[in-house]
Amino acid sequence: MRDYVYPSVFFAYFYFFLLLVGAIFFFLRSFKDGYWGHDGEEAKYRMLSDDESPETPEQHR
Amino acid sequence: MQSEATIRRAGEIPVSAAARYNESIHQDTTARLFLASSITYFFIVGIVALVIAAKFVWPQLMGTIPMLTYGRLRPLHVNGMLFGWLLAADMGLMYYVVPRLCGVRLWSEKLGIATAALWNVIILGAVVTLLLGVNQGLEYAELPLPLDVLVVVAWVMFGANIFMTVATRKYTQMYVTIWYCLGTILWTAFVYLTGNFATLFSTGVNQANLNWMYVHNAVGLIFTPVGLAIAYYFIPKTSNNPLHSHKLSMIGFWSLAFVYVWTGAHHMIHGPISQWLQTISIVFSVMLLIPVWAVVYNFFATMRGQWQQLRDNVPLKFLMTGVVFYLLTCFQGPMHSLRSVNAIVSKTDWIPGHAHMAVLGAFSFFAIAGAYYVVPRICKTRLYSDALANWSFWLFLIGGVGFFVTLWLGGFWQGWQWNNPAIPFIDTVIALEPVWLVRFFSGILMFGGIVTFAYNILATMLGPKGNQSQAALATA
Repeated sequence: MRDYVYPSVFFAYFYFFLLLVGAIFFFLRSFKDGYWGHDGEEAKYRMLSDDESPETPEQHR
Repeated sequence: MQSEATIRRAGEIPVSAAARYNESIHQDTTARLFLASSITYFFIVGIVALVIAAKFVWPQLMGTIPMLTYGRLRPLHVNGMLFGWLLAADMGLMYYVVPRLCGVRLWSEKLGIATAALWNVIILGAVVTLLLGVNQGLEYAELPLPLDVLVVVAWVMFGANIFMTVATRKYTQMYVTIWYCLGTILWTAFVYLTGNFATLFSTGVNQANLNWMYVHNAVGLIFTPVGLAIAYYFIPKTSNNPLHSHKLSMIGFWSLAFVYVWTGAHHMIHGPISQWLQTISIVFSVMLLIPVWAVVYNFFATMRGQWQQLRDNVPLKFLMTGVVFYLLTCFQGPMHSLRSVNAIVSKTDWIPGHAHMAVLGAFSFFAIAGAYYVVPRICKTRLYSDALANWSFWLFLIGGVGFFVTLWLGGFWQGWQWNNPAIPFIDTVIALEPVWLVRFFSGILMFGGIVTFAYNILATMLGPKGNQSQAALATA
């Protein structure tokens, strides 16, 4: 019987290595996309008006 | 506010324009299906939870019928609550939130409906197989292999739909909720594959280590990011107040992304794994305080000057109470990982107290708040009963606090007894009976919360529909 212990452990850690590479890539990309610049706060205002319903004073307390 | 520079493509009707014409561009069928089914499972699995809590106090309850033994019901409770209720409810909320934040329709409503159908097949399959005793024997990974494969298929369908929706978004910059949603989809894929497939091909200590990495990351990289995604959306929405700092939210996201994955081995402290691995897991566990501080400070600062809203805004009550529970559970976690504390609390009843505060007290509270906010809107009606919603909050809160505190005290006491070799093990079991009795009665209160919540939501879904202007007033 073959021992699959180490291949399966390395398989798991390889997955998490891929995650780490992805995280580093998108983290660096976030600088390019302006998340840390002076427009970085824009999204938090935009999200408040994304409802499809007409705004009324009573809609949000 | 929204600027022209952020609008990517011209020619498409933005959501805000549709609002002006009192029309919705969103169908929300998928969100409705996921929410209705998940809340139904919440009620059914709540009964199972109550039964197993009763079995601690009255072990002879339900005799020796195999399907009704603790060993069969406990995995059903865990999987039912995690995947039948919480993850499904979170998926339903993501189907609602992501298209709105992107300013476009869901990429494929048909694919979403198919995903909801498949997810229900999986949950019903889990009920049957776990009651029959078909079980992989690994914590959180009890589902048999064919159901694991179906989960992967359903997750790919879900992920493709969300990613394609985000890919067609109108705005270049994504609100932090979308970051967390995308992170959840990717991390869940990796975590689930490791926990349900890689563990099957390893043995001994390596298998245990992989399993605990999966268990911890199931909470840390599945339920935490999706829970925070929901909180980041609904706290500003329900309070009608912008998030304190989007940049701080990004710091929280990236620190979670880099830190969380390496903490699973703290479940094996004082166990047969190498000391360096234990130490690494302790260091990363303590580093978790960084994303936790970033998240919690941001939420509390968002509420600055708005606390009076907690008087009568039920979703906000659930959200901010969930934030407090999140802070507490995330303070406990790093402390548990310290070797001296771990020697007392590990494997005791303290741990279910801690885990329930995370999954129920924090993330389920966020999901409940989301459901109270979303369901009246997608059904274009008012919430069935505001009073019942308030009752559900207090039942959950009082029952939950009773449950958590009882298990912490009982678990700490249990740990001290286990550290005294002069006390026979069976005496430590008998000593905890009063603790389990209080837990059972706390469970009854929490189940009361589930009943009032589920009845309120399902009555809203099935009740008479109002018009759009009524829906606009529906603040839940």
